[in-house]
Amino acid sequence: MSTGYTLVICEKPDAARSVSDALSGGESRSEQVEGTTVFRFSRKGEEYVVCAAQGHVYGVSDPSSERTVYPIFDIEWYPSNLVDERSASAARRISAVRKLAAGASKFVNACDYDVEGETIGYNLLKYACGGKEKSALRAVFSTLTKEDLVEAFDNLKAPAGLELARAGRTRHAIDFVWGVNLSRVLSQSALGSGHRYRTVSVGRVQGPTLEFLVEREREIREFVPIPYWKASGTFEGDGVRLTAGYAKERVETRMTAEKIGRECVGKEAVVAALRRSTVTVGPPAPFNIGDLQKEAYRAFRYTPSRTLQIAERLYLGALISYPRTGSQRLPPSINYRMIIQGLGRIPEYSAYAAGLLKEEPKPVQGAKSDAAHPAIHPTGEKPKRPLEASESAIFDLVVRRFLAAFGPSARRELAEATLAVGGHEFRLAGGRTIFPGWMKYYGRYAGYRDVEVPLVSEGDRFRVVGVALEDKFEQRPPRYNQSSLLEKMEKEGIGTKATRADIIATLLGRGYVSGEGMEVTDLGLSVVEMMAKYAPTIISTELTREIEGRLEAIELGTGSEAELLRGTVRSIAGQLAELNVNEETVGREIGSALTATVAKSFVLGKCPVCKAGDLKIIRSRATKKRFVGCSNYSSGCHTSAPLPQRGTIKTTLRRCEHCSWPIVYVMGGRRPWRLCVNPNCPGKEKP
Amino acid sequence: MKCPICGREAVADLCRYHAEAKERVRAAYPLWVKAYGSIEWKDYLDNVKRNPQTGQWAKEIAELLKG
Repeated sequence: MSTGYTLVICEKPDAARSVSDALSGGESRSEQVEGTTVFRFSRKGEEYVVCAAQGHVYGVSDPSSERTVYPIFDIEWYPSNLVDERSASAARRISAVRKLAAGASKFVNACDYDVEGETIGYNLLKYACGGKEKSALRAVFSTLTKEDLVEAFDNLKAPAGLELARAGRTRHAIDFVWGVNLSRVLSQSALGSGHRYRTVSVGRVQGPTLEFLVEREREIREFVPIPYWKASGTFEGDGVRLTAGYAKERVETRMTAEKIGRECVGKEAVVAALRRSTVTVGPPAPFNIGDLQKEAYRAFRYTPSRTLQIAERLYLGALISYPRTGSQRLPPSINYRMIIQGLGRIPEYSAYAAGLLKEEPKPVQGAKSDAAHPAIHPTGEKPKRPLEASESAIFDLVVRRFLAAFGPSARRELAEATLAVGGHEFRLAGGRTIFPGWMKYYGRYAGYRDVEVPLVSEGDRFRVVGVALEDKFEQRPPRYNQSSLLEKMEKEGIGTKATRADIIATLLGRGYVSGEGMEVTDLGLSVVEMMAKYAPTIISTELTREIEGRLEAIELGTGSEAELLRGTVRSIAGQLAELNVNEETVGREIGSALTATVAKSFVLGKCPVCKAGDLKIIRSRATKKRFVGCSNYSSGCHTSAPLPQRGTIKTTLRRCEHCSWPIVYVMGGRRPWRLCVNPNCPGKEKP
Repeated sequence: MKCPICGREAVADLCRYHAEAKERVRAAYPLWVKAYGSIEWKDYLDNVKRNPQTGQWAKEIAELLKG
């Protein structure tokens, strides 16, 4: 092997290929080192070797092999394959980097430029390259386009304070100490009370997030609706018939509601006031990751983690910029004109691009910024491969949001007429878009509806021909969905843009919440109840927020990681001691909740045939295969249905619109799919 | 002592969730009386139990209070 080359470390194999293609002009040679693909090429007289991690290849763990011991405060970094059996490929990656490092004279960290990317690069340079973390150069880029990559490598940054890596490593250490200790005390307590072993965890951000859900769940389950009435009047005059709502949207008593009818019907109403106004609606700010996740949920019902995965694939395909950004700003350095021109070569956007390029493009900017990366934007490149439907959807959303940022403000006309009759008032309101501006670019995502504007004038008179009363009840508070929960976490300042989606996925995976409606399970309720009683700090939003603030200070170079670690250990130690003293109660409560939750997870809903039993997931003792059967079997209901044998099956609490049998989620493969368990469902018949 | 509805640890006669739900059911009754002019306690409980907006614990309490 030749010596003296520059070893470039990328975060993922796709990024390594893009870097090599960009720097070599497509002339790189690929070769296998320790079973991983690396790229070799010459550039400006220098030899380069580009290799890749596969996300984190080092993780934090404790030196002890005993998995039931706690508290654990003595921790080390290890190759991920020793920490997590699912990370088997980490060994090959580390081995390849170690081998390549032996022949390198210069090192470049080209992992994604954020806390996680810095941590990945730092660990490989430190442990696999023999302590090169402080001397390696840094390639900083926000897109994987040839132009950006060439510019980044022409302007490699000298090693600096490594604050991002320090913050990242501290975050991993804190989260491990937090997670491992809480998980062990809770799982062991439940096991000690005679229940089967199952991991029960309360992560640092997971705890407060679960508490938000529990708080809402309790409001919902305790809710008693209060009745009220809604009144609307029908008015006629000059051949015109109008319906207007009573000005007070909520009439508290039936007596008052009936009085409105008695006092208005047959009387003359006059248009007492008419307000017309034109409002200007500015374009929405460019996307940061949270905004993109929320918008993708609103538009396509994609979960935040799914949106992030898709956005990362689009980034690795050089179609959009780095998605894990907090910025809502598009700096001129990204070259607006070049991107819009590029989009103009994609037929769907060519007309919009042509319109925007008539003037010097200038985008609206949002309030949030991120020193590392600009807002998410398209690169202007055309897809080089056919995109999957979900990729096309997210790509279209990102492109349109970007184009909309350059559009002029929209104008809407609003009108509200007040009809007065015998001391009562009714309101008629409407609104329509009179100049679409940016909405033209944002298309169906703009979400403004036109409601006919009333064509009446002040002083117009109408006869009240009827007053309709509608019996109403207060609505119980809505459950969080994945999007609104993400928003709540952002608002409360817990988690990071990179981790929030994963935390929500963990809450679902642990069985603390279930289904699309994010309903808290008995286990979720019990974990929060026990924590609130014996270890309130663990689920405290304040502490989690404070730690986030101190991690940010480390990122900025003003905080101390040792101090933060010491403080965290002190907090956890106190809470663990309290939990330990009450281990029996905690174990009993969590153990029974665990049993109830597991039992419920097998129940799909009432049997649509006998209407008495429950349809349940059962595993045959003879064949070991799972199927659906009625719990009323012994009383004569022999309803049963086959189930897919692969993947995890989750209940949805929904019924099929065709046959009323339960619908389940089958999770496995790339994404979950819904299945009506009725093998004879009319909805499954082919047309 | 166990909660007769859900089997969780009871504070007095009910677990803390159902005890709070009981408070909510009781507190809402005067508001229903005011809204309808009058409504018997049993009719109120029937209505609360049947209403799709009523929470699960409140429904279970309405059932318990009906006897």
